[in-house]
Amino acid sequence: MKRFQQILLAAITIAFISFGCSKDTPIDEDGLLITERQECFVSNFELLGADFITVRAAIPVIDTTAQTIDVTVLFGTDLKNVYPQFTLATDCKLEPKVTGRTDFSDLANPKKYTVVSGNRKIRKEYTVKIKFQ
Amino acid sequence: MQAKFNKTALLVLLITSFMCACQKEEYVIPDPVSDLTNDCIKRTIGPNIVSLPIEFAYAMGIPKSKGKLVSAQVEASIAGATGTYLEHRSFYTNTSGVDVPVTVGNPSSNDGKSTRMTFTVDTTAATLRYFYVIPEEARGQSVTFTFSATSSNGQTVSYKMGPYVIAKMSIKKNIAVSNGNLAYISVENMAAYNAAEAAANAGKIDLVYLYRATPASFTHALVSPAAEGSYLPGVTLPSGVNRNSKVRKVFNLQDRNLANLQFGIYVDDKDLQEVDLTDAPNYALGLRAEAGTWVETADRKYRAYIFVNSVNANGSAVISMLRYAL
Repeated sequence: MKRFQQILLAAITIAFISFGCSKDTPIDEDGLLITERQECFVSNFELLGADFITVRAAIPVIDTTAQTIDVTVLFGTDLKNVYPQFTLATDCKLEPKVTGRTDFSDLANPKKYTVVSGNRKIRKEYTVKIKFQ
Repeated sequence: MQAKFNKTALLVLLITSFMCACQKEEYVIPDPVSDLTNDCIKRTIGPNIVSLPIEFAYAMGIPKSKGKLVSAQVEASIAGATGTYLEHRSFYTNTSGVDVPVTVGNPSSNDGKSTRMTFTVDTTAATLRYFYVIPEEARGQSVTFTFSATSSNGQTVSYKMGPYVIAKMSIKKNIAVSNGNLAYISVENMAAYNAAEAAANAGKIDLVYLYRATPASFTHALVSPAAEGSYLPGVTLPSGVNRNSKVRKVFNLQDRNLANLQFGIYVDDKDLQEVDLTDAPNYALGLRAEAGTWVETADRKYRAYIFVNSVNANGSAVISMLRYAL
């Protein structure tokens, strides 16, 4: 009886080990899921002012080939205190991260952001070019 | 075998104990009021700002067999400003939800820190409103209140409320500004001036209000006198008006005291103490109704929150201001 119980316990343990572990789902250093997607692009760009109202004067022009984002902002926009918002392809992430108010006032040296694909193998650097209305 | 039986029995005993231990408590009707009693609530919320009232509702009652109410009194630790009074009408809420007043006494009288009201009708229960207009002397201080009532059988009850901290900031509502006329705004004086008055108060003019239809994003604006000329198109500043204030636009901050809208948001001393305007510009364009601006004067003597109550297409607006002395 005792031997039967030991065998049964061992069988249950083996079953848990075999079926308990789920399929491998790696995550990156940010805790985000690494998928198989290769798409890597910016689909939309928004720029909000200090009052969280858009300062864009028109729809941004996103050139996926040249990897540029051309944004026209309203007259009088304070570019030292704006909040950029990127819309990326599925599973992509952005580097560096946007953490809050950002200074875009140096128009001679436009800011660059890198989009990283879902499989973390493709990286594309986008340049955000701003001009006033 | 014996050990196994003991364990099983213990388990059954424990389960049975849990099931039987919880008893539904019977509702006990509370004892009725047998003496003169009172209660009080503070009705106003948000920061306590000088010149605004703090409102209380003070309720008192006595069993009919014991007597009737004679008087009610409130003593504040700091005498209230003009306009402080204890309501001489008692209110009840009718079936439509409307508060209906019933006169129960003579209008109250103030004597220093005390406000007193005497009942003139036979009443055994009443809820009186007390409005304490915050005086200048209370700015930055704490204020306490002692509500008391007396009855015909000689009883007296009292109820203490507070302490309540009085804000250090000041408020000014409904300042009319207009393009090319009352366009020069002083945060220190919390007022708007025309060109001649601005020249006489040049050292206190912090902002210029202007309206421009073009470009389309300009519209209503608050601009520092020292801002770039492109932000003051067509404006000739009075002599000496040249201060450089920091201004940051805000939206969705409809302070209840300034806006009196349905939003329960309040700007308090702490907000004006902690707002960081280090890298803020010296202008705010495209203002609309319910927009606001944080302002810091050039000499860092004051910070303010200016709320835009309304704007008009003819180039005028109504603003209200909370000002904090740094």
